[in-house]
Formats: sequence, structure tokens, C-alpha cells
Amino acid sequence: MAGSLLAPAPPAPGAATPAAGTGRLHRLRRALSERRTRFGLLNAAPVVVYLLVLFVYPIFSTLLLSLKGEEGGWTLHWYADALQGSNLEVLFTTLRISAETSLLSLVIGFLLAAAVSRLKPLWAGLVMIIVIVPHFISALVRTYGWIILLGERGVVNNALTDLKVPGAPFQMLYNEIGVVIGTTSVMLPYTVLLLYAVMRGIDRRLPAAAASMGAGRLTIFRRVYLPMVAPGLVNAGILCFILCLGYYLTPALMGGPKQTMVASLISEQVMKQNQWNGAAALGIILLLLTFGGLLLLRLIKAVSEAAKNRGIS
Amino acid sequence: MIALRSTLAGRIFLTVASTVILLFLALPIVLIVVTSFGKDAFGAFPPDSWTLGWYKVLFADGSKWPAALSLSALIASLTTVFSLLLGITAATALVRSNLPLRSAVYGLVLAPLVIPQVVIALGLFLLFEPAAMLGSPIAIALGHTVLASPIAVMILMATLKGIDERLEDAAASMGANRLTVARRITLPLAMPGMIAAAVFSFITSFDEFFISQFLSSVDTTTLPVQVFNVLQFDVDPSVTAISAVLIAIAVLALVLVAAVRRLGGAEKQDGLLPTEPAVGLSTGSETS
Repeated sequence: MAGSLLAPAPPAPGAATPAAGTGRLHRLRRALSERRTRFGLLNAAPVVVYLLVLFVYPIFSTLLLSLKGEEGGWTLHWYADALQGSNLEVLFTTLRISAETSLLSLVIGFLLAAAVSRLKPLWAGLVMIIVIVPHFISALVRTYGWIILLGERGVVNNALTDLKVPGAPFQMLYNEIGVVIGTTSVMLPYTVLLLYAVMRGIDRRLPAAAASMGAGRLTIFRRVYLPMVAPGLVNAGILCFILCLGYYLTPALMGGPKQTMVASLISEQVMKQNQWNGAAALGIILLLLTFGGLLLLRLIKAVSEAAKNRGIS
Repeated sequence: MIALRSTLAGRIFLTVASTVILLFLALPIVLIVVTSFGKDAFGAFPPDSWTLGWYKVLFADGSKWPAALSLSALIASLTTVFSLLLGITAATALVRSNLPLRSAVYGLVLAPLVIPQVVIALGLFLLFEPAAMLGSPIAIALGHTVLASPIAVMILMATLKGIDERLEDAAASMGANRLTVARRITLPLAMPGMIAAAVFSFITSFDEFFISQFLSSVDTTTLPVQVFNVLQFDVDPSVTAISAVLIAIAVLALVLVAAVRRLGGAEKQDGLLPTEPAVGLSTGSETS
């Protein structure tokens, strides 16, 4: 932990160093930096070894399993299975529910983050507590809360019936509405935090400047504000989408048969059908989708940074 | 500061919208806590009459909850120890040394946070099944550490970055050896961060579901697995009480972290919240 004391002194360019001493100083500095490297390697070793054994290797063996034929040899037929019939439908359902959830989380998160970024620090802090605390409460428990809330005689339906809303009580459990509501509430803290961080960094004088030059509110929003928060919105949307793809608890508990997501299918193949190869293939497909999303994030970041640099020069 | 003033209509809209959104976040949690004290477990809200009965049921003879609770606590404690050990060394390497391939190591450490948990769980099953370690609390804790250690590393990295290296250098220049510097200077200063890392590692493990389910056997079901099974098969009102207990534990843990930060004098130390990894990952950069 005390690696810092091995830090080489910052080189002082232009300092009057006796010519005879430079060589020795140079060697000393190199020796120190080598010690610092060794110290780093030594300390990084535990976590790297741990994750290689318990994280990388297991995923690698999942990959191998997904490529193994029933009578030995290599095959792609588990992937063909996974991309066919009802399995393919599950994959599309997963993409659809993830898209719906990220869109809803983005809209709601945008509104809340926009409101919070206008508040005084004290109030903003209080509101962020309400956003952050649920994030640390088990998603399972929160899902259970939604099941009680959205039931046929739950609080929401009772309130709607009392208000004489036509059509109440609504069926909100064991269908897509329930899944999207539940999953959105789990994902919302992420989008709010990401968007809040972006909005706090925005120079509020820019919209004011635009207004002073006669731009209308809609124009300011569209031409000034939105471009500034757009990278944050895209980021939050993709991240939310990735996290939804492999999500299990809420869809499994609040969805009906038509809301089966990939994670539920994997769990079912393993627990009920003992179908490990197929489950592994589905897992790898999920992994590839996640990698695709992460790659997209990187790409967008690179593009937006390039655009920013061009803007400056 | 010169800023564009919002219209009255706009402000009213944002206020109403954010109130509804905050209710959306808080209501499921508040509802569980209130309902757990109601006589009629699934009935009217707020309940007509109050009782502590469901909590008594939790700890009655023959209840399966105490065993699940203590198993989860054991696994979470093991996870905390593993994750702190990995977190301290990894954060030291990443913040206080010249590490070759630093960004690769950093990426590896954060990866478990975005890789679907079902894939990690599947892989861990394949690892532990041949070793006949299914159902072993140690195996489950080793699995949970994969998820908890990135959070510990993030928190400890932020903590180490916040400690002035010159304090360590000063101690060293006055003759303290490396161990003394670590023990007398770095450790006390890093204490709030270490406690935060420990608490969040504990909660991560305590609430984890997927890995526990894949690695559990009939007699080792952790609390979340037990809750999930109850919710899926036989709904039993005592699950409301155990959910309220889980909420209380999480809130207590957060209060503990907040109190330690306040005592440690860190009025505003960013980066102690494990939501930061998500922010850091999505931007592909480090939160500093």
C-alpha cells in the first residue's frame, strides 16, 4: 500500500544537475520504477488469478460446452436449436422487453434527472437518496412489492376503481405491462444517475445565451440542450438495454408464458430439462449480444469524441 | 449564475412528474414494510389492524427462514473477506504502481458487472460440479466474490486516490518502513472506504440470487433463493415479513456507510457509491 514512497521524484527539466550525476540518477530512477512495476504486478496478481480461474475459465468452458456434440466432436447444432422456433421467439421477446424497458427508463430517468438538476443541493441530495436507496434493496424484494401493488385487488387497482377509471381493475400482472413496470423500476436508478451526472456538467449559460439571441424554448431544447445531453442518453439507453438482456428475477415472477426471457429459458433448460449444451449456447448468444452492446458504446464514444475535437479545432 | 428561467407550467409539470416517479421508486418498498405489520397479509392498504404475528411466524419452530438467514449471513461474511483481500491488493496495484497492461487488468476487474449473471452462474456450475462442491457455502461465496470484488475495487480505488501520497512519503522520509506506513498512515485514512467496500460486498452477496440458485443443493438454500421459491410456488404471508427484514438490513447498511463517511470527515467524497462502476463502464473511462 505504500508503493508511493517508491515513486521516482518528478524529473525537473532544466534543473542544474551536475553532468557526472545524470547517469547515476538515471539508473537509480530506472531501478525505482522497476521496483514500482514489480510491486504492482505482485498486488495485481491475486485479483487477476482469481478472475481468470472463477470468471474467465468458467465462461470459456461454457463456450466449449455449447460447441460439443452429444457423441463427442464439435457441432453448431446447439446454436441452430437456440435460433429456431420457440427459442428464437424467446430471443426476440428478450430484445423487445429490453428495448421497451430501456426506452421507458430513459424517458422517466430524463424527467427526474432534469428536475433534480434544477433543485438546490439540499433537495437534490434528498431526492437522490430516494433514487439510490432502492438500488441497494434486493430486486427480489422490490419485485414482490410490485406484485402486491399491481394485483387485481392491489393498491393501484383499488385506487383506479375508486377513481372510477373506465376499465378498472386492469390486468397488470403476468403480462408484459407488469414485466416492463417491474424491470423499469429496477433499471431506473442507473439511468437517473447517468443522466444526472451528464446534466450537472452542462453549462446552463448556453441555453440562456441562445434565448438572448432570440431562440424559442423548443428551439433551445432541440438545438442546444438535446445535443449536449444526447451522448448521455445514448449511453444510458445502451447500458440499460445490456443489463436487461440477462435479467431474470422480475420477468420470471411478473411475466406470463409470453414474457419468457433468455435467462429464464436457460434456467429452465438447466433445472428442469437437464439440457446443459443448449443452455450454454443460449448463454453464449446472450454474451455476444452484451459484447455487441459494449462495442457500440465504445464506438459511439470514439465518434462523439472525434466530433468534439473537430469542433474545437 | 445566468440560467434560463423555466416557465411556471414547465416547473409544475416537472414537479408533478418527479413526485410520481419518486413514488414509483419508493412505493413497492414502503408497501412491504407497512403490510408486514398488517393483520391481513394481502388485504387493504393501509391495513385495518396491526400485528407482529408475521415476524413471530418467521422465527417459530419449524420455520425454514432462520436457517436460510444464517446461511446467507455466513456466505456474505466469507464473500466480504475474499472481496476485501482482492480489493485492497487490486486497488493498490491499479492506483499506486506502474502496472503493465493496466487498462486490461482494469477491464477484467470491471467485466463481471456487465456480463449477464446467468452466464457467470452457468460457468461456475460447470467449474464446481466436477469438484463436487455444489451446495458448499464456500463455493457460493467464491462465486459471489466474482460479483462483489469489482465493487470493492472501485470503492477502494476511489479511496486511495483521495489519500494524499505525500503523507505516506513524509512518513517514509522520517524512517517509517513500508509496513509501518501502511499500518499507521494509509490504513487509518482508508478506513471509511474499507468499511464501505465491506458493507457493499456483504450486501451484494446477501441479495445475490442466480449464482446461489445454480450452486445450491436441497439443504443449502440462501435467503433470496428461499424467497424466490416461496413466491413461485406457495405464497406465504411470512415472506412479507422476511422482505421487510431484508429492507431493514439494506437500509441499516447504507446508514452505516453514510455515518462512517461523515465521521471520517469525508463531507463529499465521490466514488463511494458502487453505482459508479456503471457510470465508469458506460463511458469507458475511470471515475476519478
